[in-house]
Amino acid sequence: MIAADTIRLPIPLIFSATLFSAGVYGVLARRNAVLVLMSVELMLNAVNVNLVAFSAHLKDKLFTGQIFALFVITVAAAEVGIGLAIVILIYRNREMINVDEVNLLKW
Amino acid sequence: MTSTEVVFVVLSAVGSIGAFRLVTSKNVVHAALYLVLTLSMVGAAYLVLAAGFLAWVQVLIYVGAIVVLLLFSLMLTKAPIGREALDNQQRGWAALVGAGVLAGLVFLIQNAFGSAPRIQIQPATTSEVGASVFANFVLPFEVVSVLLLAALVGAVVIARRDERP
Amino acid sequence: MGPLAQAVAPSHMPIVLRPLLPELILVGTALALMLLDALRPTPDQRPFVLLSLAGVAGAAAATLSLWTWKGPGSVLGGMIAADRFAVYFRLVILAAAALGILLSSYYLDRAGEARGEYYPLLLFATAGMTLITAASDLILIFLALEILSLSLYLLTGFSFRRLASAEASMKYFLLGAFSSAFFLYGIAFAYGATGTTNLAGIATALASRVNGDALALIAVGLLAVGFSFKIAAVPFHMWTPDAYQGAPTCVTAFMSAGTKVAAFGAFLRVFGVAFLPLAHDWRAFMGVLAAISIIVGSVLAIAQTDIKRLLAYSSIAQAGFILVGLSAGTQAGIQSAMFYLAVYAGTVLGAFAVVAIASVRGEEHTALSSYAGLARRRPLLGLALTAFLLSLAGIPPMAGFIAKVSVFSAAVQAGSWPLVLIAVLASVAAAFFYIRVIVLMYMQDPAPEIEGVRIESDPAGWAAVLAPAFLTVVFGILPGLLFGLLRTASVVRF
Repeated sequence: MIAADTIRLPIPLIFSATLFSAGVYGVLARRNAVLVLMSVELMLNAVNVNLVAFSAHLKDKLFTGQIFALFVITVAAAEVGIGLAIVILIYRNREMINVDEVNLLKW
Repeated sequence: MTSTEVVFVVLSAVGSIGAFRLVTSKNVVHAALYLVLTLSMVGAAYLVLAAGFLAWVQVLIYVGAIVVLLLFSLMLTKAPIGREALDNQQRGWAALVGAGVLAGLVFLIQNAFGSAPRIQIQPATTSEVGASVFANFVLPFEVVSVLLLAALVGAVVIARRDERP
Repeated sequence: MGPLAQAVAPSHMPIVLRPLLPELILVGTALALMLLDALRPTPDQRPFVLLSLAGVAGAAAATLSLWTWKGPGSVLGGMIAADRFAVYFRLVILAAAALGILLSSYYLDRAGEARGEYYPLLLFATAGMTLITAASDLILIFLALEILSLSLYLLTGFSFRRLASAEASMKYFLLGAFSSAFFLYGIAFAYGATGTTNLAGIATALASRVNGDALALIAVGLLAVGFSFKIAAVPFHMWTPDAYQGAPTCVTAFMSAGTKVAAFGAFLRVFGVAFLPLAHDWRAFMGVLAAISIIVGSVLAIAQTDIKRLLAYSSIAQAGFILVGLSAGTQAGIQSAMFYLAVYAGTVLGAFAVVAIASVRGEEHTALSSYAGLARRRPLLGLALTAFLLSLAGIPPMAGFIAKVSVFSAAVQAGSWPLVLIAVLASVAAAFFYIRVIVLMYMQDPAPEIEGVRIESDPAGWAAVLAPAFLTVVFGILPGLLFGLLRTASVVRF
């Protein structure tokens, strides 16, 4: 008899792996900078799912996983803010934000 | 499968589809909406794993603030629409890498945790999490505030139009 | 006792802040600078430069006082290590920051890009760099890494009128964010495999396992990928040439020295403490990374026609040489890598300082052809650049020679002589392109369009060139000065 509120650990971990691989694909395949940034956000979310699942799995008394996930969300917010600033900076100069067309420097 | 597992699997399926559509969509605004879908499913997953506080933070910060910032970036840059405009030439190669990463991770996770004991979900109240933040993680908390300050100052400097000649 | 009381319990420990004093001083100075800029906006940079130098000097004094620290080895809940390892790395980083500030005042004056927010951002980046070398918890390492990276993305894009600067900033940012995600995924798996993010705790948990488990190895791999991005090792080096070329030269000088030293400091600590039980598995990986970095960096450097890109590829190859020391996995290996890092930081900073001065204004004249006849136009500048290039090539009597020899001997002692063979052959080949630049400076006539350009200089610029040049020669002749310190500083336990 299995209690209702239990879950096998691989299930959240595989969800996380799916999000992470989708993010990796997005970063490699997209050429619009904002879409690349969105894919990175997917990867960060994958990390958070992992951290929360491990926190529950380890019965962590300090909630290290959950609290680290909070920090990751904060850092992600800061990163997106900076990303927006950089994208605007380029667009103002150039009216285009495709990562492989920025050809002053070689990619 | 327990009912919790069924709920979680459904959530992850929806979230994964959202993630897949996000990275393949031909329309940037649709991509942003798929991001909202995936982020919400991740938030719901936190609820299932009894991380209530984190779930609401996810909704407030990610779905509320970060997605809005991303939408702003898309609007301000008048992002174009269409596969050619959004994807580069290495799509096949990227798909191979993505699939490889996924296969490798799933194999290793099954290998390492396939026989791990089931997670007994015990709710973590906000007060417990908060107490732990300020008892055990004060230093990282302060460091994050420095990080946010640096990001704030820098983003303003970079994005501001130069008023001086 | 309820769960709440349990969670609160650790706060009864005394709070010891002294090992964190250098970072507190740096951040405090950055805040003071921002207030100064807001309350008394002035086009004159001098007050900002002097105040930031004072902050760096204060942080260095606080760091020096930690050399004789008698308290516990790690404080603040095991998050900050108060060891001599951290003292050594902080001193190297602070020296780089001080020279970077001097060079920036020189560069920004002439490029007309001085703005009040520059120095606070530079100090935030410095604080992140020093913090990461003292952090002994993966959470703190990640956050410090983000502070330094975010500040550097912004500094890279600081020449907002120059498109190349903005584009370099975007590439650096996107690839940096990508690599951070790998780094974090690695931390998540390390936490899942061991139940803690504390480095010593991870080592204890891993040491009690009979066989290395697959999950911990994934964590090691992902963390190594994250670090490799930051130290610019091949195949994770794609951002380096663009970021180094596009960034304002003063930022390039500071970040090429500071980021590499800081990231290697954390790299050495994480792998030398937390993953030491798995050393057998990661040594080979480091060796491969080292070999391809050396080969690819050296080969691509030959094809460059721009001095900043040439130095960028050179720094990729140097990362490979430092990894050779790391891959030895021994005390001697760590010691030699630490010596190499200090020498590398001084050399590369000095070389970029010469580039900044020879460019006269902003980013003009960075093509290699502009360096023809430099030694005749400005003998001292040519001599300094010659010293730096010889040191990068590893030719005696420069410090770079001692650094290479010590790294190689550590690797040979550890039995990885095929790697050393590759490294020696590659460094012989690489000597070619360094010497080519020296020949260009001494043997050729200046191009007509550059002939009339007057290179002016002021004390700040000269200090940023001559101090590293002096150290490059001194450590080449008397390496014992540094190795004496390293005997105790290369011990990492937390």
